[in-house]
Amino acid sequence: MISFQNVSKRYPGGVHALNDISFELGRGEMAFLTGRSGAGKSTLLKLIALLERPSRGQVLFEGRNVGKLARRQIPYLRRRIGVIFQDHRMLSDKRVFDNVALPLMIAGVSFGDIKRRVRAALDKVGLLDKEKMYPPMLSGGEQQRVGIARAIIARPPVLLADEPTGNLDPALSAELMDTFLQLNQSGVTVLIASHDLELIKRLGQRVLVLDDGRIVDDVGRRGGPGSGDSDG
Amino acid sequence: MARARRTLRETGTTGVRAWTRRHAFSLLSSLGSLARYPLASLMTVAVVAFAIAMPLALHLALDNIERAAKQWERLDTLSVFLEIGIDQPGVDRLTSRLSTWPAVLAVDPISPQQGLDELSRQLGLEPVDDLLADNPLPWVLEVTLAAGTDRAALIQRLQANERVDSVLVDLRWLERLDAMTDVLGQLAWLLAVLLAAGVAVVIGNTIRLDVQNRREEIEVMALVGATAAFIRRPFLYSGLWYGLLGGLLAWAMIAAGLMALAEPVARLGQTYGEPVRLLGPAPAIVVAAVGGSALFGLLGAWLAVSQHLRRIDP
Repeated sequence: MISFQNVSKRYPGGVHALNDISFELGRGEMAFLTGRSGAGKSTLLKLIALLERPSRGQVLFEGRNVGKLARRQIPYLRRRIGVIFQDHRMLSDKRVFDNVALPLMIAGVSFGDIKRRVRAALDKVGLLDKEKMYPPMLSGGEQQRVGIARAIIARPPVLLADEPTGNLDPALSAELMDTFLQLNQSGVTVLIASHDLELIKRLGQRVLVLDDGRIVDDVGRRGGPGSGDSDG
Repeated sequence: MARARRTLRETGTTGVRAWTRRHAFSLLSSLGSLARYPLASLMTVAVVAFAIAMPLALHLALDNIERAAKQWERLDTLSVFLEIGIDQPGVDRLTSRLSTWPAVLAVDPISPQQGLDELSRQLGLEPVDDLLADNPLPWVLEVTLAAGTDRAALIQRLQANERVDSVLVDLRWLERLDAMTDVLGQLAWLLAVLLAAGVAVVIGNTIRLDVQNRREEIEVMALVGATAAFIRRPFLYSGLWYGLLGGLLAWAMIAAGLMALAEPVARLGQTYGEPVRLLGPAPAIVVAAVGGSALFGLLGAWLAVSQHLRRIDP
């Protein structure tokens, strides 16, 4: 599904965010990306959704080199990837409902369908009663869950999350991870950047460890999609 | 595979209906952003309206003056100077003959004595005939032309008459007026072009600020897979609305101005003893002004948005 081949990312000014990264994430797989802050987790996620382009190497998404994608093709790639941001990226002057509905409006889905699917997604993250509120009226955890609802509403095959539990209490974090597990069980490929090692260990999924722009460990790699063995 | 195809249809990314829905979304979104800052929107619309109304008003004024000038031309007379030495019966014969010409509305003979009296009155002198032993003035026929007369042909025909010495046409002031309206007409066009560019710039600038204010929204839309066209569209609609509303407001201002002027113009006409009515703009002109305003609004928005979105680079 996602494949990094000797990928480096250097920002102007000579900062090496990623250095010769290679790994593969199969269809339907779930993995965590961990490491200290500044290790390059966010950059790695950004390269997949083409928020950044690699300086060297190739990032393949569904077998296609995203670095070679024409500008006007980028939106269609992004529609196949749900992204959850650490800072939520909500539109503060739009209601929760409209925020979640945005990907469907862009796709041109009929309003009846939008209504039904937004309700279903909000129900899934337990925020159905907040649909008429504005994001600033919600707590950080609630905003994070609105972000998840927006990321999954268009049923993308891949879900990327950048520190989704960043400012949540442990109980909420565990609940949120359950949501990700459920999504993964329904066939969605999930990659989560997080430094919450306790939580990650408990879930027993594959873990990629980044340090200073390199992958220093790849724990619990499954044989392929569907096989349940794990040794992490 | 079948399932994949169904999902695609479900998400509605293809087809005319999805396209229509996306446009409806952009349209509502643009109206929403106009309504969010009503005062700022109104000011932009007002500036556009002034810019459109100015050349339109000038055009209307010239149109009305030209029409009035046509009427004045008809009222104009020719002065036909007859040969020295023609006698009263000769003058009478010529007068009655000319009166039968279809091109001639009236003939008014002025004797040398009358001419001299008028001259001395105009010069503010004592009766000039006291100073002159002999009246040097000829008989003059004031010929009033019928409407739609070919003036040049008539003058030629009059000059062909052996009793006619010369024909004087005092049309110089009309020619000057004509030339002046021509100049002002050109000016109106120049003004229209300049102000149309002004409309594009004003609306473009408004849209530019709008893009800046909604930078976050644009970025988020791009993040969740909005195409550049989709992001651009609400702004283009906004530009179109600004132009359209500005054009309509300009028309309303012109209509109000015409109503306010109708009364004084009618009174002015009465002093000339003939009804004068201000004519409004022709429907084609209104359509061109309002449509052109909308078009230039769209153009300005397009320029601003393309420039600016490239810089944001979502």
